[in-house]
Amino acid sequence: MANQVQKLSYVDNKLGVSLPGQQTTRVIYDSVNATAGQQFFQFFTNFAGKTEFQSNLTTNKLDSAESMVIKSVQIIMGSALCNLADHLNLNITVGNQVVLKDFDPSFNATNRGVAYDRLHSGFNSNTNLEVRLLTEIVIPPQVNFKAELQTSNPLLALNDDVTIIFKGYGRIFSAGNSF
Amino acid sequence: MGMSAQDKMLNVASRLGLTTLKDMQGTTRMVYDSQTTAALTHTFFKGASQRAFPLSNVGANGNQFQVNEALLVEKIGFFVPTGADGISYTGLAGVGVGVKFDFVIGNKTVIKDATCELGGEQAFYSDGAVASSVIDLEGVGILIPPQVEYYVIAKCYGSDSRLASSQRLGCYLFGTGALLNFNTTI
Repeated sequence: MANQVQKLSYVDNKLGVSLPGQQTTRVIYDSVNATAGQQFFQFFTNFAGKTEFQSNLTTNKLDSAESMVIKSVQIIMGSALCNLADHLNLNITVGNQVVLKDFDPSFNATNRGVAYDRLHSGFNSNTNLEVRLLTEIVIPPQVNFKAELQTSNPLLALNDDVTIIFKGYGRIFSAGNSF
Repeated sequence: MGMSAQDKMLNVASRLGLTTLKDMQGTTRMVYDSQTTAALTHTFFKGASQRAFPLSNVGANGNQFQVNEALLVEKIGFFVPTGADGISYTGLAGVGVGVKFDFVIGNKTVIKDATCELGGEQAFYSDGAVASSVIDLEGVGILIPPQVEYYVIAKCYGSDSRLASSQRLGCYLFGTGALLNFNTTI
């Protein structure tokens, strides 16, 4: 089985990305400031007016020499009432391809004993969870991507922040060889 | 052993004549279904297309995957909805029950009379704070191929008393999956 380094190289090569780049660990995130009762969120689609702590991207694609593998997805809910322990529905799309479909990450929230993987679960938090993916999902350079999250709990308050974070192996631009 | 989840998916797909599954999008997948009326016996995923989110996430396809979509089940978990709306849920520890279940794919029972004992597998978890409601399948897992119906029949029982227990119940299947991709995997 290919590991994430091999898979990233394989996909990049298939797409004609020949630059070697600096290998790195990549974290990208986006935060949505909610309206009261909002139950559907789109991430990595709108970056206007966001601070550097709300999103570390300015467009919904990686630069021409950058790519990454999503190995882990973390979600943080800035709400006391609408929590991540209730059923969720997460979809991630890269290009026109749905790469994570109707996934419910809520099982990794809190310590109810139902987590997919307790090593990466949210322990006793119902506002912060992480899911380690079993497969490497590549975001190639210059390809749009987005995440859509639906909550079942309608109690989100005005101005609560919902943040999604992708973590994994990646490549960033390097003018020469790797350092 | 040495076989990965992906290897097993491709091996089974090849034997079933699914020659294009190897070109599909690899993913991490889970499906779940829940029933919020307490009962002694629950059948999950059959008829789940009638149960909308948050009761189930299988959608219109119900208890079978689309063409070239599949799931290698690596973990089976059970949970207990706390209300009739199915929004919130707890683990088996919340009601102190275990679950005896059969898992059927097509016309074949692939897991027979197994139990998800309350607190089993505790040693495999890092926190160990709450009794587990999840079992890891031994070996690599079991593949649900495309367009084949699957379901789980489950019965709750008191973990200590070993008596039948009427409960609300839900079930999830988690593992490595494949999603339909018309071109090549990215």
